[in-house]
Amino acid sequence: MTTQQIVPPSQIESELLRIWDSLDKTRQMRASLFNLIVFNRLSSRTDYIRNIVQKIIDTFPCRVLFVTHDPDPSKHYLKTAVSVMASTGPSATVCDDIDIGVAGSEWERVPYIILPHLLPDLPVYLLWAEDPSQSHPLFQPLAMLSTRIIFDSESADHLMSFSQTLLSLKEQKGRDIADLNWARLDGWRNLLASTFDSKERIADLKDIQELTICYNARETEFFCHLKIQAMYLLALISSRLGWNFQSTEKKENRFCFKFDSAIKATIESSFYQDLPPGCILSMKIVTKGQSHYHFIRNPKQSNQVTVQITTHDRCSLPFQFILGKTAMGQSLVREIFLKGTSSFFLETLHQLQILDKEKIC
Amino acid sequence: MNPLEEPGRTSRTIDPCVLVIFGATGDLTGRRLVPAIYQLGREGLLPSNFACVGFARRPKTDEQFRGELKEDIIAHSRTKPIDETFWQSFQEQIFYHQSDFDVDEGYQNLARRLSQLDTRHGTRGNRIFYLSVPPKYFPLIIEKLRKFNLIYDVRENEERWSRVIIEKPFGRDFASSAELQTSIQKNLHESQTYRIDHYLGKETVQNLLVFRFANSIFESIWNNKHIDHVQITVAEELGIGTRGAFFEEEGLLRDIVQNHMMQLVSLVAMEPPVNLSASAVRDEKVKVLQSIRPFTQSDFKENIIRGQYGNGYINGESVPGYRHEANVNPNSAVETYVAMRLFIDNWRWASVPFYLRGGKRLPKRATEIAITFKDAPGFLFQNYERKIDPNVLAIRIQPNEGIALKINCKIPGPSSPIQPVKMDFRYGSYFGQSPPEAYERLIWDSMIGDNTLFARSDEVASSWKILTPVLEYWSNNRSEFPNYSSGTWGPANADEMIKKDGRTWRIL
Repeated sequence: MTTQQIVPPSQIESELLRIWDSLDKTRQMRASLFNLIVFNRLSSRTDYIRNIVQKIIDTFPCRVLFVTHDPDPSKHYLKTAVSVMASTGPSATVCDDIDIGVAGSEWERVPYIILPHLLPDLPVYLLWAEDPSQSHPLFQPLAMLSTRIIFDSESADHLMSFSQTLLSLKEQKGRDIADLNWARLDGWRNLLASTFDSKERIADLKDIQELTICYNARETEFFCHLKIQAMYLLALISSRLGWNFQSTEKKENRFCFKFDSAIKATIESSFYQDLPPGCILSMKIVTKGQSHYHFIRNPKQSNQVTVQITTHDRCSLPFQFILGKTAMGQSLVREIFLKGTSSFFLETLHQLQILDKEKIC
Repeated sequence: MNPLEEPGRTSRTIDPCVLVIFGATGDLTGRRLVPAIYQLGREGLLPSNFACVGFARRPKTDEQFRGELKEDIIAHSRTKPIDETFWQSFQEQIFYHQSDFDVDEGYQNLARRLSQLDTRHGTRGNRIFYLSVPPKYFPLIIEKLRKFNLIYDVRENEERWSRVIIEKPFGRDFASSAELQTSIQKNLHESQTYRIDHYLGKETVQNLLVFRFANSIFESIWNNKHIDHVQITVAEELGIGTRGAFFEEEGLLRDIVQNHMMQLVSLVAMEPPVNLSASAVRDEKVKVLQSIRPFTQSDFKENIIRGQYGNGYINGESVPGYRHEANVNPNSAVETYVAMRLFIDNWRWASVPFYLRGGKRLPKRATEIAITFKDAPGFLFQNYERKIDPNVLAIRIQPNEGIALKINCKIPGPSSPIQPVKMDFRYGSYFGQSPPEAYERLIWDSMIGDNTLFARSDEVASSWKILTPVLEYWSNNRSEFPNYSSGTWGPANADEMIKKDGRTWRIL
């Protein structure tokens, strides 16, 4: 990344051009596949969000328009700066970074600054790193510019209100949506789909009696809503299998969910220092016919899951499933190019509204 | 035929001439004309025997005039710094003539002075008169020029020539345009009339003909079988600035749509001309304008949208609404934005909508023609794509002149999501230099007697014929203004206009 140059908004493009001219003959190639608008409040999370953006451009160059809103009511400013971000990999591809720092009522100007700097003909993704259920005056104008909005449910106070807000955005305003935590479950969704791939196993799915999901309870400065991925997974499975929710009960550190047909699901936690916070550690499925499916994440190889399957008449050899890269941003990169909104994601959100009535997350 | 000029190899020889600029102390002269003439001279494109005379009302000496022009060149020339060595010799060819436009004596003296310049500079009696003055002076000046034999008859074997360049607006509506034409043509032959529309001098506009007719892959799909719709945008981030009084009289439809945008429509939609002569090209352009479907009452309400900017932000800075600009009526009903949908009723363009939008105080300065092609049959990819983006060919007229083609591409990896990507050609990057200013090309064309890139009287009349009913409807029906904030892409009803057709305006 080149040093950020603070420039007035009218000189954003000319300053970028000047930087590019200065990089001439360095064999770096300017590229952009899409526009990425990022909005976040100024906090210690800002660096974490930056890190996600870096991971995205490591794979796919894009024009970044990074908006940081300083919530300090005593401040009143608007600053714009430009720089060039380089991927950390072997590629010599680099891309534009336009930074907008804003405080006080100056937020009004932000959409006007962004609008002329969107690259035509390329999609515009908005990464809204704040709780969408808390209204922010910049949300609507930035959403209007976007092809798709990606949220971070980690920033939401409650998963139920988060789900409601996202569903209303989709169903009432027709916005295409995604969530970072949903994207992080990409590997587990693939694992489930590929495990239950035969007639017998699909029959087992319909016969589930108990489901236990264990997540990593390691809290960090940026991750404190640790149950979200586990809740997502439960909501996905229960919505896809048509389970009707009946009740929730908290027992020590576990949450027990009861569905009709005597189906029970449990969310519990364990602690692994070296694994990402909130990530799924294991999942266990027991059917009425006493088939057991056990998925255990390898704590030393975090992208590997050991799958053990036993049925009443067969005990299969365990096998390894590779979840794909688990680094922050990689799952988003995979999600980002999918068009529209996943219908499974919408079903999951509907189910979360029901499952999280007690505001577990 | 010059026996030493090899067509296409040697530069075209240019007749010696004197260029007389009426309104020589005006804004256009300083910002555009003089820098263009300087640039032509510097690049060796002016005739060897050349002189330039500024004609204006204010008294000043040749030296004072030269000094002012030098300042203008320093401020506005596209190449900087000024080439002092060249300027020292070039300024000796520049003169100032003081007179009111309506005084006979002024023209008698001008005739005498031009005759002296012919002797001194070898300009052989050839004249170009550039009328950089308000249109109300066109008939008067042309009449006086004729009266004092500064405009010659057009005759075969006549060695001397005289040409008159006039600046838009060419009338305020169909009737006034016809009236202007009638008064001009009493003293001026059509072949001597050069109606300048600087958009036609832009390199990318000229390249439209090359792009369309020198590339068989594009021309073969340039029709209603393959094209879904066309969008033409002329966006300015500037407001009306010091032109409040002018704009109150004109409005955006007269200022931009009737001329620049209609020229772009005709170049995009025209049939291949039989050759590249001025008359052949202009014949085809006129046919397009004559094929535009007349607007109906429902079009006036639903498919022609006007807007006026209110307060807002440009480049992060707060800017006032149109009604707060200098010399503007605080209740003004003048439009600063126009969007419209039109159809060209001919075989090539049947049922292809052309969406035009132009405005002041939009987010950025951008002029673009975008051709959106029909969707590819989606059955191959519909399993994991809602809808694949259509191909779009975007021709950027200004800034960043160039052409971009949006295509769909598979993202590397085992799964196959599809992502639109752009193939982008930029004049500046490819040819390593910025294209010449439009006025350079147009002044040069007037010197060589090529009026291909100038509007012909029937083009102007056809354009007014389409748009005059809109002006009449607007004059009888007010609109609620302001209806868009400065720094946005225009009023909401313009978005609704295109949305009801299942399309959206491009974000530029």
